[in-house]
Amino acid sequence: MMQAVILAAGEGSRLRPLTRSKPKAMIPVANRPIIEYVIDALLENAIRDIVVVVGYRKEHAIRYLNKLDAPVQVVVQERQLGTADALRAARSEITEDFLLLPGDNYINAESVARIKKERNAMLVAEHPSPSDFGVVVIREGVVRDIIEKPEGAPTFTVSTGIYSFTPDIFSYLHTNEIPDALSAMIASGHAIRAIPADDWQDAIYPWDLLKLNSRMLKGIHPEIGGMVDASVTRRGVVRIGTGTTIGPNTVIYGPVTIGCDCNIGPNTVIMPDSSIGDRVVLEPFTYVADSIIMDDVTVGSHSRIVSAVFGQGCILADHTTTYASASFMEVGDRVLKEEFGAILGDGVRAAPFTTFKNCIVGNGVTIGEGKTVTGLIEDSVRVI
Amino acid sequence: MCGIVGYIGRRDATPVLISGLKRLEYRGYDSFGIATVGSALEIYKRTGSISDGEAGAAGLQGSIGIGHTRWAGYGEPTVINAHPQIDCEGKIAIVHNGVIENYSDLKRELEERGHVFRSETDTEAIAHLIEEHYDGDLLAAVNATLSHLQGSYALLVIMEDTERIIAARNASPIVLGVGDSEFFAASDLTPLLDYTERVIYLDDGDVADITPDRLDIYNEGEKVERPVELVNWCVEDTRKGGFDHYMLKEIFEQPQSFYETIRAGVDEGVRRMLMDAGEITLVACGTSYHTTLVFKYLAESLCNIPIRIEMGSEFKYFTGPLRGLVIAVSQSGETTDTIAALNMAKARNCPTLAITNVQGSTLTRVADRTLLMRAGPEIGVAATKSYTAQLAALIQIINLRCEGMFNDILSHAHLAIGDVLLYDVKDAVALCSRADHAFFIGRGPFYPVAMEGALKMKEISYVHAEGYAAGELKHGPFALLTPETPVIAICAPGSTYNVMVSNVKEVKARRAPVIALGVEGDTELPEIADIFIPIPDTHLLVQVLTASVVLQLLAYHTACALGRDVDRPRNLAKSVTVE
Repeated sequence: MMQAVILAAGEGSRLRPLTRSKPKAMIPVANRPIIEYVIDALLENAIRDIVVVVGYRKEHAIRYLNKLDAPVQVVVQERQLGTADALRAARSEITEDFLLLPGDNYINAESVARIKKERNAMLVAEHPSPSDFGVVVIREGVVRDIIEKPEGAPTFTVSTGIYSFTPDIFSYLHTNEIPDALSAMIASGHAIRAIPADDWQDAIYPWDLLKLNSRMLKGIHPEIGGMVDASVTRRGVVRIGTGTTIGPNTVIYGPVTIGCDCNIGPNTVIMPDSSIGDRVVLEPFTYVADSIIMDDVTVGSHSRIVSAVFGQGCILADHTTTYASASFMEVGDRVLKEEFGAILGDGVRAAPFTTFKNCIVGNGVTIGEGKTVTGLIEDSVRVI
Repeated sequence: MCGIVGYIGRRDATPVLISGLKRLEYRGYDSFGIATVGSALEIYKRTGSISDGEAGAAGLQGSIGIGHTRWAGYGEPTVINAHPQIDCEGKIAIVHNGVIENYSDLKRELEERGHVFRSETDTEAIAHLIEEHYDGDLLAAVNATLSHLQGSYALLVIMEDTERIIAARNASPIVLGVGDSEFFAASDLTPLLDYTERVIYLDDGDVADITPDRLDIYNEGEKVERPVELVNWCVEDTRKGGFDHYMLKEIFEQPQSFYETIRAGVDEGVRRMLMDAGEITLVACGTSYHTTLVFKYLAESLCNIPIRIEMGSEFKYFTGPLRGLVIAVSQSGETTDTIAALNMAKARNCPTLAITNVQGSTLTRVADRTLLMRAGPEIGVAATKSYTAQLAALIQIINLRCEGMFNDILSHAHLAIGDVLLYDVKDAVALCSRADHAFFIGRGPFYPVAMEGALKMKEISYVHAEGYAAGELKHGPFALLTPETPVIAICAPGSTYNVMVSNVKEVKARRAPVIALGVEGDTELPEIADIFIPIPDTHLLVQVLTASVVLQLLAYHTACALGRDVDRPRNLAKSVTVE
């Protein structure tokens, strides 16, 4: 029986401020943490012996994993030193050949089916910006070299971080990173086969979550659990959780997923590619499109929310606008330019008539009346 | 304060009993034992924890059995005193939770008639009485025995060559689980959740005759029907998952249990009862007592209603004049003293309300109405999520009396609780784990919060801790301050802030180290305190919660640093079901 190890210990610091209270693998996309899609892909391939390595904000991850139907085993990586160190934490649970997967990337079942047939193999994919990944040099289907996050990438083929290993791998874990172990294996004459992935997607930067969200929303199933007024217009696939109230004359065009205990409308418009978490309040005459709104967010009336990610517990007053545009921004150690509306961390509060324009706003930021917010704002700042 | 389990059906009884006892370990963990009926009556008992001793039980045969985990009341925790207890012939085995008050009389009479007692337990007398009354019918023998017993009991009886379990209840809890051609019995729901969601709560005086295919319940000799109820707790909540301790898991469940309790709201009958109340008396013990004190401070100022708080164990013997609504608060709903107090209130024609976490518990049966807190099963002996859920229920009452003034604050309070869970308190832990004594001080509603913080600290870390109203520290305890006695001071903004700051300075002047809790953005406290722990700058109602959670984390991590058995602190049991 094949086993699987899912790595969910890393923070995913490039996704800050969204990783304040949870690791990257636990960030909700289409209202489900990313790791759940990975677990789904394994279960569809009848791989049920799953070990999850947790570390950063482990309590959050453990609480969530305990509630899943899937019987996952949890191990803890005390300090986040690297992927190989994380794998070492799972060593006592591994007795068979196993798959190693990052818990914070989407992977589909077909890709897992391809690699589970192999021993000592790696799933690879083509990516337009390979420099964010480990670039893989392949000859005749076998990995020759892995170059981590190179300046000028020789190919567009990158490692997905998904591998098929035998327990022998543990004797090659000399450093804290998996690619080093692979290099050591290659050097000692092992052939690592490169298998092309069928569908794989990573979210490196917060705005990547929006693409992942629209991809995941294609897979949702319609279900109406709450109280939907008879005058509500619905089109496409719409999911509404239990306890949610959708007020009169609201228009929802799927794919849209809405969590539990929300209060939406009357006269609210929710356009495609929107995910709305639990206990969210969208007041009347508010328009939402192409956005992720996490749990406990309140958006005041007459707001227009487009291409935005709102962290948990944001309270935004009436006439809030997010305005999609692109400008240069320094994220981590890189300067990037990407078109999106707004990324708000947890617990952001904004007074009426705030405009968010292509900005990343830290956790707990407070914004005074009538401001236009652009660029990067650090945690807990007051914008007056 | 013991836990009992029983099983009858087609499965091998031993694993069912062992897993059930593990779930009940919080009720007592001095010793445990099980008995099964297969080809013969077999018994296995030992001292210490179930996990350490379960292997030895594996050999027991049979698909009928009873088990017991003990918190020693009568007699030391030894193998002989562990349950099941048996009769002279070793044919009848019983497990018992409760106290038999006329035990010494019974024992003397039984010994005169030639019965040989092996243990020091009150329970053994029951076994001998059943033996004496046995005349081919176990049910009749148990019925005849019960008429001699004074005190409280939840009892399970099995006998060699007999395919039935007799269960009896008086003032100690017992729940039956209904399966397919099988039945389960336990002190509370948690052992049943693995197997069934259909349960029957027995009433006082009930005797149940259980065979694999049939359940008959009698009360005073008459056959009675008890409804089958569906349980809404799920079994995941009783598992530790990947957490090191139940307590830590439950600390992290607090945003949810708080929110769920607020969301569940108050039904119309309870609402009317609360709105009509001209004055309120609350009765509680332990941690619940602290939540009622917090309520008193908050409700008297916010809703202008006189509130009286009584300690359950005192109230029973020293009862003042009672008027108005009486509310009993108990997580388990089985706290003997609180139940007794509520019964007295009923006897005086006061309307009564129970606030408890356990649907179907004794308290809910005694009280006129129940306000259920939604904490889910709490396994850790130190109350954490039940404390916040109790506060949620009580704050809900305040909100109700204030006509929903705090709706917005309450609907976001769970986020603030979630925020403080992210705090790193290791500096404060380092200080506390070096100390033999610690003082917790606060004013107003933060005084009971300080008391609760001290209770948590002493019960799980064994660091001697006391909670004081900050002004009282100078009236005596000041003599104990040294550089080795940390003082944990809660300094929330408001009318008491300035005086708290001067209290902290006085403490510092005696060179005692100070850990100060204050709101984020406070610039003064970090200057004067050795360690400053910020809590979110929110409404007073929420600060009470967040400060409490910080103190839970402090106690938990201090206990871990000292290597204590956090989920099973020495000498304690979760629900205090004896006086």
